[in-house]
Amino acid sequence: MSMSNRSRKKLLDFLQFLVILLAAIIILVPIYWIVSGAFKQQVDIFQLKLLFTPTLDNFKIIFKSPYNLFDKLVNSTLVALSTVMITIPLATLAAYSFSRFRMKAEKVMFVTILATQFVPAVVIVLPFFILFRDIGILDTRLALVLVNLSLIMPFAIWMIKGFIDGIPLDTEEAALVDGSGRIQVVLNVVIPMALPGVITAGIFCFILAWNEFLFALIITTNKAVTLPVGLSLFHAEEGVLWHLISAAGIMIMLPMFVLATLIQKHFVQGMTMGAVR
Amino acid sequence: MNDISLSIHDQEFLVLLGPSGCGKTTTMRMVAGLEEPSMGDIFIGSKKVNDELPKDRDVAMVFQNYGLYPHMSVYENIRYPLKVRKVPKSEHEHLVRKTAVKVELGNLLNRRPRELSGGQRQRVALARAIVRAPTVFLMDEPLSNLDAKLRVNMRAELKHLQHELRITTIYVTHDQIEAMTLADRVAVMDNGIISQLDTPERIYNDPDNLFVAGFIGSPSMNLLEGSMEDGKFLHSGFSVKAGFGSNQDVTLGIRPEDLELTSAENTDCSGRVYSFELTGESTLVTVQLADDRLTIRGPNEYRVAIDETVGIRFNPEKCYLFDSESKQRIRS
Repeated sequence: MSMSNRSRKKLLDFLQFLVILLAAIIILVPIYWIVSGAFKQQVDIFQLKLLFTPTLDNFKIIFKSPYNLFDKLVNSTLVALSTVMITIPLATLAAYSFSRFRMKAEKVMFVTILATQFVPAVVIVLPFFILFRDIGILDTRLALVLVNLSLIMPFAIWMIKGFIDGIPLDTEEAALVDGSGRIQVVLNVVIPMALPGVITAGIFCFILAWNEFLFALIITTNKAVTLPVGLSLFHAEEGVLWHLISAAGIMIMLPMFVLATLIQKHFVQGMTMGAVR
Repeated sequence: MNDISLSIHDQEFLVLLGPSGCGKTTTMRMVAGLEEPSMGDIFIGSKKVNDELPKDRDVAMVFQNYGLYPHMSVYENIRYPLKVRKVPKSEHEHLVRKTAVKVELGNLLNRRPRELSGGQRQRVALARAIVRAPTVFLMDEPLSNLDAKLRVNMRAELKHLQHELRITTIYVTHDQIEAMTLADRVAVMDNGIISQLDTPERIYNDPDNLFVAGFIGSPSMNLLEGSMEDGKFLHSGFSVKAGFGSNQDVTLGIRPEDLELTSAENTDCSGRVYSFELTGESTLVTVQLADDRLTIRGPNEYRVAIDETVGIRFNPEKCYLFDSESKQRIRS
């Protein structure tokens, strides 16, 4: 009896392993394809052989004319960083207000902010285009930052509010009675305590801004083109240049991998920090 | 909160005592400025503080959950009030260390709050409150998160500290032992009003109304419904001489220690033992009397079996009479 139970458990474990393996393959194969493609010659790109002579030529090509990927890298970095640097302080203050102050129509305001997230981007891209054309900031980083703010701020407010809600009120009230004003409470107590959450939100916002494609595609044409849009440059008369797309793809993914690692650390810290009772 | 009027003397230790939800914490939070009264004025000294922010009221508060800053060391926690109140930096170290020694935290200054035990956290909260000399000290159930033994120790330390510092203190608790041991005066609160404001002795020995009588004392005072006739209290099961009174419905209150266990004959009343408990220092005997139960504190060597019939003698000097209607004490 116990033997058959044990062997059944073994079988279940094995099936579980198979399912996980399958899922991992589905997720990892495209990434493997991109990574290996980035180091292949164009002629090898569709060959599924595991052994090939790696080359860094692709990376050299994408940073040269006519692709000039470095410019796009700079654009992407500046746009994403500016977005995060504006979003996080403002979103933190807004989140704090939503978390701690009871205001008139507070629920309506909060739901409205969240509701902007449910509007499909493709619906509002045209008004943005016309607006930016009229005020003459089409194809500028400023326009991209503005668009990204409108997309990311609601998300950041919602996320940071969750972390601030978790800070015990006692601690803040203690700071008030100890002699702090409201701004000091936020700076000295709330932000340090919510820091893992704020950092997590910052990283998420950076990723969203970094990967933003649709708006960048429509709003930029030349000067302010970002990396994801830059990928579409690699269509040529000889067809799609997969080896270059792969190399550029790696340039897009690399910061994401670094940030994902950071997120993991802060996310866990954010979860376990908790309150001191 | 309902029409509270309370004045606290300088250097007094006032305890707000009452069951949860009676408004004692709200009262204290209004003094601290964390809650706004819908009407009425709050004065600290001669200064009206209604429109003052908490930081401008010169109060210090110890919270039930301590409200420590988890991202700061013990040293930083204690120093925080000095820092935000712009006390000259040169004095910080000296003040923090002096205070830490006073609450026996001297060697834990570099720890984070999460590395401390409950009692130690409690001391940090206390140190943070006394590091500067506030006008008023507010404590919101500061001992309720500690285990029983520690609570007794900290109680004594609080009492000592207040005696030493001579700072006006408002202390909120639902624990009557804390109230009795710490307070100069106790305000017993019930449903947003102050039921009685008096010294602990008088709160215990001379309750103004049924609520205070029933709330103070452990086990609580026995309360029997009946009526008075010619100085005698008439109960459905018996009658007993209770001092004074005419024809009216009353509630008779008597504490377990003012009842005496006797043999079943020639006594005030008798009944069957419902339960018998040994507390260590004394015994508690609960006796069924018609529809009521009486708890009697007996000597510690007293033994009785459940369902045995015992007699009970009332101490007529210690019977309290309350008007059943108004719940107020009837005084002779």
